[in-house]
Amino acid sequence: MAEGTGRGEALSIWFFVGGLALLYGLVLTPYGAWAWFTHHEAPTVLNQLHPTFWWGLLMSIFGAFYTIRFRPGKG
Amino acid sequence: MTALTLIFSTQLTHLAPIDILILVLYFAVVIFIGFYVKGSTNTSEEFFLAGREMSAWVAGLSFVSANLGSLELMGWAGAAYQYGMLATHWYWIGAIPAMLFLGIVMMPFYYISKTHSVPGYLQLRFGEGARCVSAVSFALMTILMSGVNMYAMALVMNVILGWNISFSIWVGAITVAVYVMLGGLRSAIINEVLQFVLIWAGAALIPILGLVEAGGWSNLKAQIAHNVGSTDYTHMWTTLGHFRDNPMGVHWTGIVFGLGFVVSFGYWTTDFLVVQRVLSANNLRAAKMAPIIGAAFKMAVPFIVIVPGLLALAVLKNPDGSILHLVGENAVNAQHPYSYNEVLPLMLIRYCGPGLLGLGITALVAGFMSGMAGNVSAFSTVWTYDLYGAFINKKASDKHYVAMGRWSTVIGMLVSIGTAYLVAHAASIMDYVQALFSFFIAPLFGTVVLGMLWKRATKAGGFWGLLAGTVSSIGMWLYTTYGGAAALSRIALSADARPMAENLYRALWSWIICVAVTVVVSYVTKPTPEAQLAGLVYGATPIPDDGATTLWQKPIFWAVVVIIVFFILNIVFF
Repeated sequence: MAEGTGRGEALSIWFFVGGLALLYGLVLTPYGAWAWFTHHEAPTVLNQLHPTFWWGLLMSIFGAFYTIRFRPGKG
Repeated sequence: MTALTLIFSTQLTHLAPIDILILVLYFAVVIFIGFYVKGSTNTSEEFFLAGREMSAWVAGLSFVSANLGSLELMGWAGAAYQYGMLATHWYWIGAIPAMLFLGIVMMPFYYISKTHSVPGYLQLRFGEGARCVSAVSFALMTILMSGVNMYAMALVMNVILGWNISFSIWVGAITVAVYVMLGGLRSAIINEVLQFVLIWAGAALIPILGLVEAGGWSNLKAQIAHNVGSTDYTHMWTTLGHFRDNPMGVHWTGIVFGLGFVVSFGYWTTDFLVVQRVLSANNLRAAKMAPIIGAAFKMAVPFIVIVPGLLALAVLKNPDGSILHLVGENAVNAQHPYSYNEVLPLMLIRYCGPGLLGLGITALVAGFMSGMAGNVSAFSTVWTYDLYGAFINKKASDKHYVAMGRWSTVIGMLVSIGTAYLVAHAASIMDYVQALFSFFIAPLFGTVVLGMLWKRATKAGGFWGLLAGTVSSIGMWLYTTYGGAAALSRIALSADARPMAENLYRALWSWIICVAVTVVVSYVTKPTPEAQLAGLVYGATPIPDDGATTLWQKPIFWAVVVIIVFFILNIVFF
């Protein structure tokens, strides 16, 4: 049974958590990389740390882990 | 709560296309989930209790997330700016002991009685009168709170992003109505878990980057002490020796007994909005573990709420380099354009550019929508089981009750929209709604806890105790609202007490009155035969084994771990 979504369903609640995080990571990481390497960082405090890129990467890894771990058909 | 009277002065920022993409993705996923789980939401148990098949982790995250709305986030970040670390008490002593008590002591009774709701438990223990008082007040409160959440979201989006108020109200309401009507509590719970992750993803960067900018915790404390001229803002207990020694105007007795015992236990153990999440657990051990898991995560929330408020005291500056002072809503003017309640958006904009800003805004929207969904799903359950099913149509089919649940969700949202527009025209209504909540919570805790722990409590005792506690709370509120400083000093026991202390002491007195009346009336009325108390009261109920075989599986072990961490945190930030 997929956890949280009901008996007989294929997609677990954790798959949705991972999927949304992965989607956001895949949006933020390339945008952050573009802003970093083309010097288009927004004028925010500590923008020299490139938070959009690193946070996007972290969300991609977190999201990918949960998406793969709870992918439909596993377990 | 101060966040209920949000008044912003100017539009703070605007969204880039990437931010809008992030927001649209969230709405698409939420609507998809509603349609996806509809197929598993056919019976009343599936619609109202998510089929009682949630694991401890899902129920626990949903339990803590149901309380982690955007109103709380923004309000308590503002309170941290205003009062310093004292605001942390509402997350630690004001939550953790009560959550553990719910898991270890009370959950077995809620769970094994197979009740569908807290008013349902009151009916089993104290009869129809107590259920009716509790169900009517709860249904009214949830629908009003849903409207308050709706209006607050519209107002926040209006002032941060310049969005039209009606646009925000209708988009939020329709989205929530669709996914709750389709998937019931299951939809609400899935979205609460998503929202919990989103809030951390959207808000955690603020304290992380803020602490980097401030140069670490020690430097932050030093800067706050320099800026405000006092070290009191970074201590939790040292200033509570007297009402006049702290900016909140409270005493440690109010924090420990009023907040830590009555208010906190009342909210976390008897408010059906949060208890409903735990009732969805798939077995007794999961039901006991869910509040303990929730407590562990609750202890971490000050990192994304309190720390940003403290950081604002240190790092927010005017363009000329002078310290930027935030003020109360009534004091906002050209010299002081921002209020306390704008702390979180101001800090978000400070550190987050396009993309991350969209993530932060999405987290706020998710928090507001989850607040609406939580209230509406709890409303539809209590309306269908404890009002419609109990007093209007007792013998309908299960299918009929599910249909009633779906329709009451839509009707509930329409009433909420009406409330939102009402609040838009009279903002003070929000304060009254908040006050209404406080009337019922403390006495209800008195009634439920006596019902669970004391066999001698009778039906008449429970009903009259609940009524006396509620009426006395309303009476004290009227007295302090219209009686001025003298009335406040009598209720809160000090001429130096401030309104925050009034809430805590009023809750304490109304709980004591409820308990005293329940005890007296119970002793003068005929005891309930013990056979009728099986499954409802300690001493008359064999507690079933929760199936834990190893130490790691035992809820009590994890409760002890959480309470040890709780004490360590309080000592570290004493």
